[in-house]
Amino acid sequence: MTAPSDQPRATMSLSPATLQGLEARAAAVDESDVTATQADDVDLAITVRDLSAWYGARRVIRDVSMDIRANAITAIIGPSGSGKSTLLRCLDRMHEVVPGARSSGTVSYQGVDIYDPRIEPAAVRRTIGMVFQQPNPFPTMSIYDNVAAPARFNGLVKGKAAQDELVERCLRQAALWDEVKDKLGHGGTSLSGGQQQRLCIARTLALQPKVLLMDEPCSALDPIATLQVEELMSTLKADYTIIIVTHNMQQASRVSDVTAFFNMGEDRAGYLVESDATRTLFTNPKNQLTEDYVSGRFG
Amino acid sequence: MASDAVVVFAPTSRWRRRKANLFAFLAAFAFVLALIPLVAVFGYIFVNGIHSLLSVDFLIQDPPADLSATGGGVRNALIGTLEMTGLASLIAVPIGLAVAIFAIEVGGGLARGARFLIDVLAGLPSIVVGIFVYASVVVTQGHFSGLAGSLALAIVMLPVVTVSAEEILRLTPRPIAEGARALGLARWRAVLSVFVPIGLSGIVTGILLGVSRAIGETAPLIFTSLGNNFFTLDINQPMQALPLLIYRNALNSGFATARDRAFGAALLLIIIVFGFNLVGRWLTARRRLAGSSR
Repeated sequence: MTAPSDQPRATMSLSPATLQGLEARAAAVDESDVTATQADDVDLAITVRDLSAWYGARRVIRDVSMDIRANAITAIIGPSGSGKSTLLRCLDRMHEVVPGARSSGTVSYQGVDIYDPRIEPAAVRRTIGMVFQQPNPFPTMSIYDNVAAPARFNGLVKGKAAQDELVERCLRQAALWDEVKDKLGHGGTSLSGGQQQRLCIARTLALQPKVLLMDEPCSALDPIATLQVEELMSTLKADYTIIIVTHNMQQASRVSDVTAFFNMGEDRAGYLVESDATRTLFTNPKNQLTEDYVSGRFG
Repeated sequence: MASDAVVVFAPTSRWRRRKANLFAFLAAFAFVLALIPLVAVFGYIFVNGIHSLLSVDFLIQDPPADLSATGGGVRNALIGTLEMTGLASLIAVPIGLAVAIFAIEVGGGLARGARFLIDVLAGLPSIVVGIFVYASVVVTQGHFSGLAGSLALAIVMLPVVTVSAEEILRLTPRPIAEGARALGLARWRAVLSVFVPIGLSGIVTGILLGVSRAIGETAPLIFTSLGNNFFTLDINQPMQALPLLIYRNALNSGFATARDRAFGAALLLIIIVFGFNLVGRWLTARRRLAGSSR
């Protein structure tokens, strides 16, 4: 455990060589994980150990340790103030973007510590993508450019043909293609809320991430749009590891394979109460708090 | 039925209605009061300047060597003003935008220091800017020049452009800014391709404010471009500008011809500033419409 007075982690830029080394290491871990999968039937994408996070002097999550399965949907539920969003933002180093925010503990993606000082936060965020609560397409860009531009800026795609192909593939993956294929030049913000959210998902997919973090992605959407995004998540699970923060317990039970329940402790910092297969957690939780929460007695 | 409605929605008292009317009247009165100087200044200059401006010679001839002589125009001052203000914009706009972006995106002690200096610059009387450029450029080069005038105008423009661009960039919605970060975009890329296009109309307005400020400045030019009576495009020569011409001719307003020339030039200056603002608004409004309907 690290005391709250510790210095925030330093951030250094990463040379291409180091990044390649990192990817090689990640690939090596990947291979060893394949055998591990055969042994215990669980493939881990992200490992969190003793993670604590602060905004200024206030600790918002305390000592969280959890494993996140690859190619599965993990739901994070819990009452307001239990640190769900902060935890999510620690997983792609978005937490540190807020002035005065810092964290301690380790977060590893495929065995590589994403807080390693040699790793550039931007590289982490490309591999571990995030979809926000409010749909946030870039307002001055067309639908096409909302998907193509971030990938182009990151050097992932070159040339018109490759971009066309990428835009169509990602919009199809996000189940939006049929609705927008005839108006790709229209502004991204001309779409409905649910379409904008799927556009943001397509934009994130265009970076070819491995993990999708979704912070209450449906809370600004109507029930039909919510259903569309949920169906989309179930499809995407085959290729991506998905972690979703949700206020909505029905949503967690509908879409997720694993559910983690967070609560706010007496020190007002969020902590992990328990994490289990979704069905087990909702029907037969080990902890009384979880039972009370999922049955609607508090929160 | 009617009495029921009155019970549910209690009638507005007469006193309350009078109070509302009084405040509406006071607001309208203040509006008219604020409009008076604007209309008076513009009207006075228009009435006195329009007949000079209506003659084509006024725009295509240079003023006579003797200001009291009749005839001649303000061609050299018009071209000098456009040339010096244009050059000043070429210097001040890139630097101003760079400082604003640096202050927003990099921050830290250096950015705060730069911002502080810009604020000091904004508060500097423009005549001091003129003296500074006189001492550093005119004395060093040994002669007055349009280049020195442009530098002085650039220093006057710089804080206007910087402060407005910074304010606008600071208004980038946080979800958009975070979205750009979460996509792993480099910070300069996020600024240039996402934040600047969002704030473009505000940034252009700030630039036009800076241009309008510089175009009307007299004090920074007195010791730098000096002014002259002949036509030149050479920035190494002393160069005439509309405010300088107004100043020199107004000093000789005992002569009707000099007085008319000053009023004509003043009206021309107002029209140019007004035109810049109209074009800027039109450009940015058109862009915004295109963005929303695309």
